[in-house]
This record gives sequence, structure tokens and C-alpha cells, in this order.
Amino acid sequence: MTTRDLGYVALFAALIVALGIVPAIPLAAGVPITLQSLGVMLAGLILGPKRGALAALVVIALVALGLPVLAGGRGGLGVFAGPTTGYLVGWAVGAFVTGFAAMVFDVEGASSAKRIAGLAGAAILGGLVVVHGLGILWLALYSGLGFAKAGMVSIAFVPGDLIKAVIAGLVTFQVRRAYALERK
Amino acid sequence: MTDPSSAPPIIPVPLPRQVVAFADVSVVRDGRAALDHVTLRLEEGRIGLVGLNGAGKSTLLKSMVGLVTPTAGTIAVDGRDVTREARAVRATTGLLFQNPDNQIVFPIVAEDLAFGLKNHGFSKAETAARIAAALDRLGIAALADRRIHELSGGEKQLVALAGLLAVEPRTLLFDEPTSQLDLRNRNRFRDVLAALPEQAIVAAHDLELLADFDRVVVIEAGRVVFDGAAGAAIAVHRERAR
Amino acid sequence: MIAALGAAGTTPLHRLPAGAKLLGLALLATALFLIDRADVLAVAAGLGLLAARSTGRPFAALMRDLFGALMVIAAIGIVDLLMVDAATAAVIVPRLMALAAFAHAVTLTTTTAEFTETLERGLAPFERLGLVDAGRVALTLTLALRFVPLIVEEAHEIREAQAARGLSGSPLALVVPLVVRVLVRAEEVAQAIDARGFPPPRSAPRPTSLPSSRQPDPTGDRPSHDHP
Repeated sequence: MTTRDLGYVALFAALIVALGIVPAIPLAAGVPITLQSLGVMLAGLILGPKRGALAALVVIALVALGLPVLAGGRGGLGVFAGPTTGYLVGWAVGAFVTGFAAMVFDVEGASSAKRIAGLAGAAILGGLVVVHGLGILWLALYSGLGFAKAGMVSIAFVPGDLIKAVIAGLVTFQVRRAYALERK
Repeated sequence: MTDPSSAPPIIPVPLPRQVVAFADVSVVRDGRAALDHVTLRLEEGRIGLVGLNGAGKSTLLKSMVGLVTPTAGTIAVDGRDVTREARAVRATTGLLFQNPDNQIVFPIVAEDLAFGLKNHGFSKAETAARIAAALDRLGIAALADRRIHELSGGEKQLVALAGLLAVEPRTLLFDEPTSQLDLRNRNRFRDVLAALPEQAIVAAHDLELLADFDRVVVIEAGRVVFDGAAGAAIAVHRERAR
Repeated sequence: MIAALGAAGTTPLHRLPAGAKLLGLALLATALFLIDRADVLAVAAGLGLLAARSTGRPFAALMRDLFGALMVIAAIGIVDLLMVDAATAAVIVPRLMALAAFAHAVTLTTTTAEFTETLERGLAPFERLGLVDAGRVALTLTLALRFVPLIVEEAHEIREAQAARGLSGSPLALVVPLVVRVLVRAEEVAQAIDARGFPPPRSAPRPTSLPSSRQPDPTGDRPSHDHP
């Protein structure tokens, strides 16, 4: 890991935290999009699996150290003693999967539409399937609801996350045009 | 409000200057030459670099401390090849970036200064002494325990400079130090620069700042197009920038 | 639940080393999830509240701290009652309350500095294996924290500029320029870190001496990393 990688990881982690502070953006339809989990998807897509996962881990470490870095100013051990621990851990695993999937799905030379779809697909795989999967696992255990019912709770967040995945794909595509980052 | 010009006058003790030697250096990126066959021997106390945006001033400065590796040619500071002996060169040559925020790594002033000292292997006792001395030198001792994001742009720049001075380099490189400052801060910076006994190489658009320098180099598209007395160089740059 | 983090104190919990508290909490949490008896868990919840109270924090303040968590637990309890059965709710609610209370007790008696130290010590064995460099980890965490306010400011600037152009409904209009700025900044920060001599030499700090650049460098030099 070069100093440059260190810089990318640290600054992207800072971005994820900052996105939890910036207020949600109301889409044209009036639906507000919260940005922090979008930031985690972007970490995997833009920095790649290893650095993206590290950025997510940095955020998790900051939470563990007691700092109010999660959206709403949450932080500290209490978060880990709560229902969302699975989602949080899922961020790191999900970022890795997203980054890896992006390397597979996003083929250089393909049309813009295909590339954006590939990136969004990678974000769905990591940011949705993995994050919700791990989130539901913990939630089921934590709440005593069992997988099926915990899954029902999680489902409520899926439409929002699908929109975020598409946005993540679009953002990544446009960022890549403005800034060249070697794929790792 | 900190004001270094009200501090006791510093009697500049001219420190031994370093010789920065570029031997036919080229830096090519994406087919474009950021530096194009540059040969220079810089040894004066005050050297200016002028050129339009993108001419290569930043690349030139950054290559002196090994942040940019030449595609051809070698750069040596006091005989040390910058690529192979980067650490040693960085111990004697400090670079002040254009945006002081990007240079300040820790959230509290004293901690940030300690970072630079720790990298160069100073003991805890020496670190404390050097931090105090560097802050004092610039008249910002009062800022030692302050949080960086509470400081003004001018103060941040002084903190970044203090971070470099604490290591006691022989040469200081400045990348457009006044481009983001208002008039008062620009004047203050000029006073600070005038009082520095270290050798200084300054890339700037602020031609007034360089007016009484020993030597000014004009760069265009990565090439040296003029190299000589400040007045003449500035006139050449002005003419070519029409 | 924004806790009053690690206020200095002299209660027994305050004086316990952070590592012990965290380990204890982890073991306790495991035990809580293995125990299935509502009565035992109810006692545990009571003990948890006592532990939190033993830190010196007044009861009313504790309730305020734990309000958010307790609301979530109550909601889970109700959902359990309605969608599973009363027996489950009777087990889950005290379990989660115990967990929250004990975790809060640790949070109240441990400072961020102590957590950081524990993290460093936790990483030490991995460092000896050469897998991790604690210095780099610490730097990364510090850097992240250091730049959060700046990035938030940049986000606001971009938002204002976009609003002035009628683009406030587009997440892309905010996120794309923000991400680019972050990446550009990251590059320059990395350069500045290198220029300031990072990483520190692995050997002992150099002996106190006059600042002389003519001394041979005992640690050897690394090749520079290319920064276009």
C-alpha cells in the first residue's frame, strides 16, 4: 500500500462520514435519498475491492472508537450492541464484493449504457445483497424474529438502495471520465 | 491576530545553501511533456519560477523532492540523487504546497508539527523544543493547541510553514504561496519570506513577490525559456504572456 | 444514543483497563445470547443498569442517553409479541436491554484515547507478523477525521452553487464533483505526507545533534513513489 493508497482510503472514509452529515437529497419525485450508504457503494466502485473495503473498515473503526460518524451522529459501542451491526460489518464486505464485481462487470470498451449497468449491478451485489444479507443475519439473531420476518423489515429499504445503486453507477462512470484512477 | 513583523527582528544567518542540479530532465505523462529537457543549476539564495498555469512550475518543485520521477535525466540536491536518496533530500528540503489544508495532517497544530518531526526521527524532547521554536519564529506560538479547522487561510499557511521549519531544512520550496491569500496576508507572507535565512525557491504568479530575487527562471510548456535577473525575467514573462 | 464519552472518574469501572472492559463486554454479550431464560435475562438487565449507574452518571441522564436504544428495543419487543410470541418477547427485551446497558457502562468509563490505545495493542501481534503497520493505521484514522469538516464544507459549497443553477434535485450534481475533489485532494495530501518524510525510520530516533544534512542516513532510503 503506497502513501497514495493510504490517502485515498483515508479521504474516502472521510467522504463517507461527511455524506452522513450532509442532509438527504430529495429526488425530483420527492423521495429523499440518504447519502452515506451511497458513499460505501462508491468506495468499492471507485477505489476497488481492497481500498474500498479498507475505507469502510476505517469508518467502522471510527465508530468503534466512539466517534459520532454514522448518520445521525451515532457512534460508539452502543451501535454494535444494537440491531444494525450486521449492516455495518456488511459495509466492509460489501465494498469488497462491489469492487470485485465491478472489475468483472465493467468491461473497458463496452458501451456507456452497458458499463453503467455493470457498475450498478456491482453496487447491487455488494451494496444490497451482501449488506442486507449480513444485516438480516444479525437482525434475525438480535431481534428474535427469525430470518423471514427480519427479511421483511429489511425489504423496506431495498427500493431506496436500488435507486442508490443506479446513482452509484452513474456517479462512478462520470467520475472516471474526470479522474483517472488505476484499477486495483 | 498574529503578526510576525512585530516579533523581535531576526538577524538572518545565511545558512549554507544547497545546489539543486537538473541534468537534462524530462517528465512525460500521457504523451505530454510536463518537463522538457530541463537543465538547471540552482544555488542562489532567492530563486523565482514564473510561468503560466500548467507550464510546469509545480512539477519542477515536486520533482526536487522526489514526488515526481523524471522519465529522463537526473535531479540532484547537494549531490544526492533525488530518486535514490529521497529521505535524505526531504530532511533538508521542505516543500510548502499551494493549499495548506492538504499539507496539514493532524487536527491540532502541535500534533501536526510533531508528525513531521517524528518522520525524521527526532526524540520526544527534541520534538517539543523544535515545535515551540518553529511556532515562535513565525509568531504563532499561541496557536499550538488550536484546532486546524478553526484557523484562517493565512494562519493555516503559517502552520504548514512551521511544520517545515521545525525540521530545520536548508532549502524551502514554495508552490504559489500567495495565490490564495488576500492582500494583508500576502504582505504578511512577504515579510515572513524576507526574514527567512533559508534558501528559497518560489514558484509564483505574484511577480511583485519575486521582484528582488537573485534569479528568476521563466518556464513555458515544460521548457526553460529565460533564466537570469529578476527584472529581465519578469519582463520576458510579461511579454510572452500577452 | 450519543454517550457522554469517557468522562474522567474514579469508580471501579473507570479504573478497569479498557482492554479488560472490552473483552468482558464481548464475553458478556456472548453469554447473553446463549441464555434463553427470561428471568435470568431480566436480572442481567437489572445488573446492567446498576453497572451503568455505578459510573456515577445520574439515573435521569442514563435514561436520556439510552432513550433511543430503549425505543428501538421496545419496538422490537412489540413486533416480537405480535409476530412471534410472548415468550420470545420476554427473552429478547431484557437481553437487549442488558446488552445496551453494559455497553453504555463501558462507553461512559472509557476515553477515546484509551480505545485508541487498545486498538494499537490489539494490532501489535499483527504488526509483529508484518501484516499491519500500526503507524499507518493510526495515520489513516487521523487523516479521515481531520478532513471530515473540510469535505462537509465542500459539499455545502457545491450544493449552494448547484441550487443557484436550479440543480438541487440531483444527487449526481452534488456527488460527482465532490468525489472528484476528494480524489484530487487525496493525491495531494499523499504527496505532502511523503514530502514530510513519511514513513518514520524503523530504527531508533536519531541522536540529538545539530541539524546537519551531511550525516549519512542510517536507515537507508526508499525509492520515491511516483506522483504524477
